[in-house]
Amino acid sequence: MHYVSAGPGEAHGHTTNWGDVSMIRFLLAVLAVAVVLTGVYVVGRLIYDIVQLIGERRRSKNDAALPPLWRDVKALGIAAQIGVLAIIVAVIAYLRSNFLTRAEDIGLNLSFDFLDQPAGISIADNPLGPNDTVSEALTQGFLNTIRVILIGIPAALILGTLIGIARLSSNWVLQKLATGYVEFFRNIPPLVVIIVMWRVVFLEGFPRSQEAWKPLGGWFIFSNNRFAFPSLLGQDNFDAFRLILLLGLLAAAAVAVWRTRVFNETGSPHHRVLWGVGTFVGIATVAYVALGAPIATSKPALDEAGRVFSGGLRMQMPYAALTTALVIYTATHIAEIVRGSILAVHRGQVEAANALALSGFQRYRFVVLPQAMRIAFPPLINQFLNFSKNSSLAIAIGFSEVTSLVNDLFGQSQPAPQLILILMLFYLTLSLVLSAVGNLINRRLQVVGR
Amino acid sequence: MTGAGEGLSADDVALFTARAEAARPPSQKLPPGQWAKKNLFDGFANIIFTLVFGFAGLAVLFFLAVWVIDADYEIVRRNLRIFMIGQFPKNELWRPAVSLLVVMAGVGFTSGALARNAHDLALEQDLPTEKSSWVSLIRRFWAVIAVVIFFVSFARTLTPYLLVAGAFALLVAGRELGWAINAAVRARAIYIGATIFLLSMLVIAGTSSLGGLSLGLITLFWVAGEVGRRDLPGGVVGLTIRWGIALVAAIVVYAIEVAIPYDGFGWENWGGLHITLFTTVLGISLGMPFGILLALGRKSDLPVMKTASVLFIEFIRGVPLISLLLFSNLMLPLFLPIDFERPADLTLTIVVITGFSAAYIAEIVRGGLQAVPKGQTEAAQASGMSAGSVQRLIVLPQALRAVIPAMVGQFIALFKDTTLLQIIGILEFLRVTDVANVQPDFLGKGLAPVTYLFVALGYWAFAYTMSKESRRLETKLGVGVR
Repeated sequence: MHYVSAGPGEAHGHTTNWGDVSMIRFLLAVLAVAVVLTGVYVVGRLIYDIVQLIGERRRSKNDAALPPLWRDVKALGIAAQIGVLAIIVAVIAYLRSNFLTRAEDIGLNLSFDFLDQPAGISIADNPLGPNDTVSEALTQGFLNTIRVILIGIPAALILGTLIGIARLSSNWVLQKLATGYVEFFRNIPPLVVIIVMWRVVFLEGFPRSQEAWKPLGGWFIFSNNRFAFPSLLGQDNFDAFRLILLLGLLAAAAVAVWRTRVFNETGSPHHRVLWGVGTFVGIATVAYVALGAPIATSKPALDEAGRVFSGGLRMQMPYAALTTALVIYTATHIAEIVRGSILAVHRGQVEAANALALSGFQRYRFVVLPQAMRIAFPPLINQFLNFSKNSSLAIAIGFSEVTSLVNDLFGQSQPAPQLILILMLFYLTLSLVLSAVGNLINRRLQVVGR
Repeated sequence: MTGAGEGLSADDVALFTARAEAARPPSQKLPPGQWAKKNLFDGFANIIFTLVFGFAGLAVLFFLAVWVIDADYEIVRRNLRIFMIGQFPKNELWRPAVSLLVVMAGVGFTSGALARNAHDLALEQDLPTEKSSWVSLIRRFWAVIAVVIFFVSFARTLTPYLLVAGAFALLVAGRELGWAINAAVRARAIYIGATIFLLSMLVIAGTSSLGGLSLGLITLFWVAGEVGRRDLPGGVVGLTIRWGIALVAAIVVYAIEVAIPYDGFGWENWGGLHITLFTTVLGISLGMPFGILLALGRKSDLPVMKTASVLFIEFIRGVPLISLLLFSNLMLPLFLPIDFERPADLTLTIVVITGFSAAYIAEIVRGGLQAVPKGQTEAAQASGMSAGSVQRLIVLPQALRAVIPAMVGQFIALFKDTTLLQIIGILEFLRVTDVANVQPDFLGKGLAPVTYLFVALGYWAFAYTMSKESRRLETKLGVGVR
């Protein structure tokens, strides 16, 4: 979410340059090392195979056990590999020389120095200004992409699971509605959903900011310019309070683990969520009173003309449109996966649950869904990856996530080759991290086989 | 690397769905009262659901219907031609028209021939089969037919009506011809269909270089297939003769086609639904051979081939299509020799889309290769086949047959992805809405939703029909049920 913490936090977003220049350069260095290592691996394997082959042929020179060289599968394989490698190297060298000639011809800057130059752009709702460097701008773009993903993927997962279950409902109305939703949104391009959501639903559907809709006494503001929500604002002792909250979270987790252990040993109801939340709320309340109200609420407000927002937590319209549209689109795919996985759970499981007189909710919560999720998870990872890649569609509605930001930088005549490389590198890293996390969770989920 | 590992794919899940649905007991016909009690008012929660969602659903449908009936469709009527074919030069309009008619005849012919081939095969194996009636075909393709009629109803002159009627007539005639023609011709139906398709799309209304390239590629495989039917000496000699003849034929066809000088009729100005369908079909068909090669490379034991394939596939799959399109627009021309002019945007895009779909097709084909039992390869090797023949005659046919539904899925995905072409300034179907809404007569009239509805229906009808067809193919081919 796009927030500017007002007051003391204002300067905050500007000074915390955590991982700006260094992150991009680090990724580039990793890429270079990976390319070199791959080359070394391939050539090394090839040389090793050749040495092996020569050794083998020398050893068995006298017995006629081996076929002649031109019929030896290993020799043919090596020859084919050398041929392919030569073609690849030649093509790359040719393209590279063309590229260098053309780059020199049009005077293209091929160094990465531009990362430290002023970017010349500003991002809505962001302290970043035109004088900040390109790498700072890129970092803000990366963070905006991450904001879309962090909110969007859990939302799509929840909506998709509910719709997938609704498609299997015994209630005719619910089932038909869910089917209609899935069959419609699954078969239109995500870009259509995004553009309609942005231009029709959000721009036309909400009032202008002068006539903004302010429910609940102005604690919420909805207009076609921004959504604003109340937020919390740090006061004195805020850092200490944050630390205590973190410790409280750890304590809550420990209590939950302890309750689970008690449940496993004695079988008495664990109520671990209740216990955990209770611990956390207790610690937080005590700390709040002891530290003398370290946080205050911040109410969003509009100025006299009804244009400039201040206070509260503010959400940019294109962000809201992009995330909503992608959630609606991705949820249809997730719903299909969830439905298929539920159907794949063995019928005997459902019958056994019925025989134990579990309620419909209990049957889903304790018997069907845990097993279905195990089946659904690998294809779900693919949907999460698709979601993160589809967030680049923001370029069409001008939300400054990384792709759209890079496009803006092209407009400031920043060099395209390096920027495209950085952009691709960012998405590759994101895909790698997401699928690595997904595979890790998947390993935990799967039944340990014999 | 970025894949979901060894787990189940979405297709496996779809398979579970199909199987579980087949295993369900047939639904009983209940009298209306009991049916309503069982499906709508069974218990307190159910009654609440029925009332709340029923009311919400009816409200949405009602307001949607009122809006659809009340809307002002003048903007669509005035821009229908741009929606369909973009800014194609006015004095060359007969070209896309003829191209459409020829394509429809070709599609009809190929589908008829393939249906007959499957029919004959089923008869041979004593399986139940019958020629699908026109009624059943209309039921299967109702969405596309309805949307075509909806689209053409906006026409203000007679020509579009005649064109659509002619296209339908040729489709029917082509299908009957394909069904009736002799087996030798039917065996080559795919090649004939592809040639007709490219002839019409690239030679009648396209550019000579791309047309020559595609026709050359088809000739290469077709001639290689034809020569392969004869008795050839085995080993390297036979292979050389076979591919040598094919290569010469392909080069001759390419040279003849390129010798006819034309730069493409309005190639820079192509647009609308035409470009959307064209890019999708071309992207998939050009990506297919590369995709199969990449899949074989990924399965190979040879480290050079394997590493190159894995790197290419995972790189393409790891980045969004937009970044690749930006690459095609800004970077690709820089890799051409310095004395080359910058090709048209559409040409650059097709290059990138081909690579893009090749990577995804490779992963699909890899899934199919893994599904072929190892015994098949071993039996082929035991009977003394060469490594190439094992792949070509035993493994690939089974693998490719198993992945047809997934391939249709990839086709749908690419069809939806072509909307991104608007980012690099190509006037594809969705982008026409912007063009229409900034015309002086419609600017600021709030008619954008009407155009979005029109476009969304177009996308929906094609994608919905294809996904239904792919599910039908899945059950028909019995994928994974061996």
